[in-house]
Amino acid sequence: MSDTRREKSSSPASPAPRGGKAIGRASDRGGSVERPIDPERAARRRFRVDESTRVPVLTFFTGGAFWLLAGSILALLASIKLHTPEFLDGASWLTFGRVRPAHLNTMIYGWASPTGIGVILWLTARLAKAELRFPRLLVAAAVVWNVAVLWGTIGILRGEGTSIEWIEFPPYVPPLLVLAFSIVALSVATTFHDRGEAHVYVSQWYIFGAIFWFPWLYTVVELLMVYRPMAGSPQASVNWWFAHNVLGLWLTPIGLATIYYLIPKVLGRPVHSYYLSIVGFWSLALFYNWAGAHHLIGGPVPAWLVTVSIVASMMMLIPVGTVAINHHFTMVGRFAILKYSPTLRFIVFGAMSYTAVSVQGSFQSLRDWNEVTHFTHYTIAHAHLGVYSFFTMTMFGALYYIMPRLTRWEWASARLIRVHFWGTAGGMAIYWIGLTWGGVLQGAAMNDPKVPFLDIVKMMIPYLWSRSLAGVLMTTGHVAFAALFTMNMLHLGKRRYEPTLLDDPREYARLIASPPAWEETPAS
Amino acid sequence: MTLNYIVFAASALLFGGSAVVALAWAMRKGQLENFQRGATSIFDADEPIGRVTDSFPGQKPKPAGGATKRS
Ligand code: HEM
Ligand code: HEM
Repeated sequence: MSDTRREKSSSPASPAPRGGKAIGRASDRGGSVERPIDPERAARRRFRVDESTRVPVLTFFTGGAFWLLAGSILALLASIKLHTPEFLDGASWLTFGRVRPAHLNTMIYGWASPTGIGVILWLTARLAKAELRFPRLLVAAAVVWNVAVLWGTIGILRGEGTSIEWIEFPPYVPPLLVLAFSIVALSVATTFHDRGEAHVYVSQWYIFGAIFWFPWLYTVVELLMVYRPMAGSPQASVNWWFAHNVLGLWLTPIGLATIYYLIPKVLGRPVHSYYLSIVGFWSLALFYNWAGAHHLIGGPVPAWLVTVSIVASMMMLIPVGTVAINHHFTMVGRFAILKYSPTLRFIVFGAMSYTAVSVQGSFQSLRDWNEVTHFTHYTIAHAHLGVYSFFTMTMFGALYYIMPRLTRWEWASARLIRVHFWGTAGGMAIYWIGLTWGGVLQGAAMNDPKVPFLDIVKMMIPYLWSRSLAGVLMTTGHVAFAALFTMNMLHLGKRRYEPTLLDDPREYARLIASPPAWEETPAS
Repeated sequence: MTLNYIVFAASALLFGGSAVVALAWAMRKGQLENFQRGATSIFDADEPIGRVTDSFPGQKPKPAGGATKRS
């Protein structure tokens, strides 16, 4: 580690750092954009950019960490109630019908979204190489957002939820979320406008997709579902067009933007094929919006609508394939670093899960497949492979990278990071295997008219227990993470001058000091 | 009810439309050319390509050559 740095700083004025030769040539060929030649200035600028994002981004992260814990408790309650219904059945506000939507909404709007917004703000400033605009307004937005989520969650637990999945927050909450979100969009747009880097990196495209589509989507769905409700089956179509786009045009782009930035950044190695990454973005923008009705296969909606969505789901294999190929070949030769770097380990786990969840998704949208798995625990396993294994793990990785750069304090304990990783990764594996297996059995039994329904309910109990076990492991990981987060924010623990790695730092220094052969061959 | 359909259709158009406008902008601005440079735009001059850079930001233990980089 330190020799890398010493080597870097020993020649501060050298215009083309080691390994940058190929790049210099490439930009001579046709690049119209200047790179600041002076490494010293470039580093100072990056420092200033990070500084400008500190307060708003950390405010968003803090809210996220809080809701992650709250959502985990609600998750455990929901999970336990499914196999032990008499657990805490005395209070109406702790019934499954309220705890489950409270779990979904705290996790999606309390944990996933604000953390994603924090990452978006930081990434936008980094990519634009410009200071973040409106930091104080953004802090206000974060406060409004968290108050709204708190108010909405209490509302759901009091029984005021709308009972429309993914938008259960009572009607007084959405305007607050939209207000906070508009400030975020404004800040992203103006920071982008100020940019000191002419090239719009692929992550920025994903961020635009997320940041401008989501507020509009959310407003439209609230209008059509809550304020002026549609009736009948169009209601279901709009509901799932929305819920699907929350996943595909909000969480997915944030996750992919993060992965496309951090894997190359940590490895110091450009994306394997930048061309493919651009194709991937535009094909996602093209196909995803059409796939919403695959949540309603066999439902009371026009058959052509469902068929269109199935075709679009299959077409999604294109963007997903480009992402998978790209991430894999960017990593090739450097997989050993996963043993050491917390950021990379979480991010690569997330990236691999993205491929897995999407390929699974494409196939489960086929009618024959869906006939078995729809209405079963299998779908819940898919859901968490997406929102947890892909999105949440990617966000953890991003936090491991971003936080020390903002708080100027390294992570306090490698052991706690290991607990976090193995708790969440192991828990997720149990979660997915248990419910996928159970779900297929459940679906097969439900399609067999000879099996009494109650037998199926009883048959599922062990699988549901496996999820509660998984939930305990994942929650343990979250508690470890929250402890690390708090120590980092408050500068607790021993001051560190070296990165906190998951394995022997000396071996790591040796590993990265010997760049493999690919360094000489620029990616095409 | 008709109002609802109008809102729904308008939003679908807006989604598609904004993507087309953005794509046109990107092509006009030459964003879809010179991919090699695009891919390396995330590295600053002090971040040598080919080097792992996930190091601890901030203080350096033994600054050599008097440089005080802080990132
Ligand atoms: C190309 C990619 C994908 C396809 C084709 C796909 C397909 C599907 C299908 C067909 C369903 C409905 C299953 C049913 O109800 O029978 C579903 C549900 C779901 N998917 Fe995916 N999926 C994809 C990627 C993702 C990703 C990346 C995420 C997470 C970020 C995700 C999260 C979910 C969730 C949360 C649900 C459950 C929604 C609910 O019932 O509340 N999916 N997916
Ligand atoms: C501590 C770990 C977690 C556990 C034990 C857990 C457990 C559960 C349970 C029991 C359900 C209800 C399933 C049902 O109705 O049959 C559920 C649904 C859901 N959870 Fe989680 N969860 C966890 C983490 C998360 C996280 C971090 C997120 C989001 C980032 C999330 C998002 C969701 C969503 C979107 C649904 C609805 C799925 C669907 O309708 O298909 N969960 N979860």
